[in-house]
Amino acid sequence: MNIFVNEQVLTIPVDCNIEQLLLLLESPLKGSAVAVNQHIISRSKWAEYTLNEGDQISLFQAIAGG
Amino acid sequence: MLTDPETLRYSRHLLLEDVGESGQSALKFAKVLIIGMGGLGSPAALYLAAAGVGTLVISDFDHLEVSNLQRQIAYQSSDLGTAKVTLMKQRLEALNPEVRVRSINTQMSESQLSMELILADLVLDCTDNMASRQMINRACVQACKPLIVGAAIRFEGQLMFFDHSKDDSACYHCLFPNSEEPALNCSNAGVLGPVVGTIGTLQALEALKYLVGLPSGINNKLKLFDAKTLEWQTFVINKDPKCPVCGQIK
Repeated sequence: MNIFVNEQVLTIPVDCNIEQLLLLLESPLKGSAVAVNQHIISRSKWAEYTLNEGDQISLFQAIAGG
Repeated sequence: MLTDPETLRYSRHLLLEDVGESGQSALKFAKVLIIGMGGLGSPAALYLAAAGVGTLVISDFDHLEVSNLQRQIAYQSSDLGTAKVTLMKQRLEALNPEVRVRSINTQMSESQLSMELILADLVLDCTDNMASRQMINRACVQACKPLIVGAAIRFEGQLMFFDHSKDDSACYHCLFPNSEEPALNCSNAGVLGPVVGTIGTLQALEALKYLVGLPSGINNKLKLFDAKTLEWQTFVINKDPKCPVCGQIK
């Protein structure tokens, strides 16, 4: 199925969860934040949150500078 | 009641239906703690002092370095080597003598911060590192104090508001549970001055709105700013019931 990650189309297996997506993308789990359809999904829910066709995923890092 | 000089000074606020005399009085009696007097804290502190926020407590333990001047617009080249809070206190008092400014020139411990929070109506996190951000968040959750968080690096900004006086408030830790320092910071990755200035200015804007009783458009939300395209993304942050910082509190 197709989802969008930071506005780029990506084909992923059905029943893929957020944690699996990050592993697939070789994206660091630490320091990352993930939003699905403009809602932040807490780190504690990544392994249980199954993605759906057409989901808009936003993946970004914490920044601390100021 | 405002004095005649105050009525003159704040006349552009008094013209605003949403501020008016009651809003200006609320600002006069407000106490705001601003932690970090760098690129975020510079515009935030200047705007809050200019607006007549009655008491500002400013905290930083750095001395001014020449590399700060590219973005920390409250300071001057002749100020190098002096403690930022000393400089900022002088600057704010010169800007608005009606405002009381207290400076904290140390890295606050969590217990010292908790004491400061008792006196504060609102906190602005204008710091530059993850350890401070996590500590400020914990302390504000515990003390039920509203927290406006800003951050910037390169061409990116992040802005969020958590009203910890509300039971359903999410917290910074719900969003960023990792306390390790991000690999990139302003010192090693750079930042353009107006990027950090934009975020600090918006922290001041949200602070003023909160203090005069206007609803925030970003409560429990994260705004991401892309300075290259000037586009903003908005994300809803729900309280994580399993959050070790705020999950068990309410």
